Amino acid sequence: MLDVKNVKKRFGGIVAVDDVSIKIEKGEIVGLIGPNGAGKSTLINLVSGFYYPNEGRVVFGGEDITWKKPFYRAKKGIARTFQNPRLVGNMTALMNVLYAIICKNGGENLTLHEASAEAIYYLDLFGLLKRRDVLAKDLPIYEMRLLELSRALALKPKLLLIDEAMAGLNPAEAENVSKLITRIREEFDLTIIWVEHVLRILMRSVERVVAMHYGKIIADGTPQEVSRDQKVIEAYIGEEI
Amino acid sequence: MVRLEPRRGRLIIHAFNRKFEWVIEPRYWRNPIIGVILWLAIPLIIIGISQIFPISVLSLISTLIFANILCMITIPLTVQVIGTGRVNFGPHFFAAIGGYTSALLSKNFGLSPIATLPASFAFGALIALFLSPITIISRGLYFVLITLLLPFILLEIAYWQSEIFGAETGIPGVPILLDTGNVFFDSVAYFYLSFVIVLLFLFFADRVLRSRYGFLMGVINEDEEVAESYGINTAKIKIPTFTLTSGAMAIAGWFIAHYYGSFTGPAWLQPSFLILILLTTTLGGKGAIYGVVLSAYVIASLREITRVTFGELSIVVLFIILLLLLYFLPEGFWGLYRKKRYREYFPSIKIRRG
Repeated sequence: MLDVKNVKKRFGGIVAVDDVSIKIEKGEIVGLIGPNGAGKSTLINLVSGFYYPNEGRVVFGGEDITWKKPFYRAKKGIARTFQNPRLVGNMTALMNVLYAIICKNGGENLTLHEASAEAIYYLDLFGLLKRRDVLAKDLPIYEMRLLELSRALALKPKLLLIDEAMAGLNPAEAENVSKLITRIREEFDLTIIWVEHVLRILMRSVERVVAMHYGKIIADGTPQEVSRDQKVIEAYIGEEI
Repeated sequence: MVRLEPRRGRLIIHAFNRKFEWVIEPRYWRNPIIGVILWLAIPLIIIGISQIFPISVLSLISTLIFANILCMITIPLTVQVIGTGRVNFGPHFFAAIGGYTSALLSKNFGLSPIATLPASFAFGALIALFLSPITIISRGLYFVLITLLLPFILLEIAYWQSEIFGAETGIPGVPILLDTGNVFFDSVAYFYLSFVIVLLFLFFADRVLRSRYGFLMGVINEDEEVAESYGINTAKIKIPTFTLTSGAMAIAGWFIAHYYGSFTGPAWLQPSFLILILLTTTLGGKGAIYGVVLSAYVIASLREITRVTFGELSIVVLFIILLLLLYFLPEGFWGLYRKKRYREYFPSIKIRRG
């Protein structure tokens, strides 16, 4: 479904993503791990179109989208969440999701009632129905993350890119988020790329893990394989030990 | 060909094989109607006061006309800020483009004001269309700097090619719009003419902001990358917005040229005029087209009052007062009204109802 071929991205002298190739099949849930500055978020940005690569190609669903704009990719079915929740702060939670639904449809072929009903459905899925009339900027970080997920889901994506869904959450909340992600994946038949720092919970929820370090892929396999990989342990703990 | 079909609460217009629907909502008409009536009555109030106190009616009415000119620039500017998500620091550049276009066309080719109106709009929009890529390639401080430089470039050109642009003396001999011989009657008529133009601007701005297009503009104003991730082609919204609103600003220049009977670029391309425009938009409130009208009137009157009472110190006093206003009203005049109704800050949704 998604095929990233030899992608390279430089920022000045730093090579953030160095010759990365990764192939993701339909229905997979892939965890992308690595220490700070490994290039995980850059890779997500390259796939969602916020950065363009210096070299290499990105193919989605058989179509070369390397130079396509983010809105085109969104229409093709790539939705994402942001590392720091980026919601429209001055709108209520319901309006945030409603905007996504209406913008996706271009405001046509959809009545206001249908769109609202759909928005309420997605909010309810994440347990945010009671908070629908709260301004997005007044929500706690946990609910902001859930709102971002429900907004991304409202765009009816085929590929969902999750950029650090559990950063800044307490263990119980993180557990809940990971359960919800597993659930929506089954329910909506999604392909998910999930960037994360909290490895313990991620390793339980995903089937395949890709580890990155200094812009390169150092391990790719099942969670058990990757967690035993010597390179990954070194990258996380440091070589001296 | 055109057939009207009144229904309960709405009017359906069948025209050109298409159906247009206008939802009539008289319950929302009260405040706008009261506002417009008050606005219309301002010259009458001034004339009434002049019967009691000895004040110059003509200078007060010209202040009101100046406020209307400010409105003509700031209403499109407000729409532009919403639609592009960037603050344009060169609105007076487009006004000057419109002014020079109409002045030069009427002086050199003898065109009437009615002919120069579409010409100045078209030329302003054309220049803006050439400049519109800056709304895509630049943002933040770079956009501010680029737009800030434009009026200075035009100012230099006006001095350099002074045979054409007339530098500080301006381009005289532009036909004026109304000439009945009675100065008093003329100035009141000018007020109502500019009032009609501002009202049309308000009407169009309101319609655009409430449409589906305005709906998407609101998202771009908040966060462009979020808008892109929603699947909105932001360039397709930013470029027409920038082009058309700049054309609308050029209409203000057209009015200036035909009101004063001449167009003097260096008088309107000054940074002090820019500061007045930007303060008007800021004091009006974020994205508030009606607040802008109120603040234009407040600022124009304050300018006149300080000019009369403080003499040489007037500019300093004016800006101190405006700074204090900015400090105490961070959300602008419209913020006072909208504070309790924050949910309507965004344009209300109007899509097809089933």
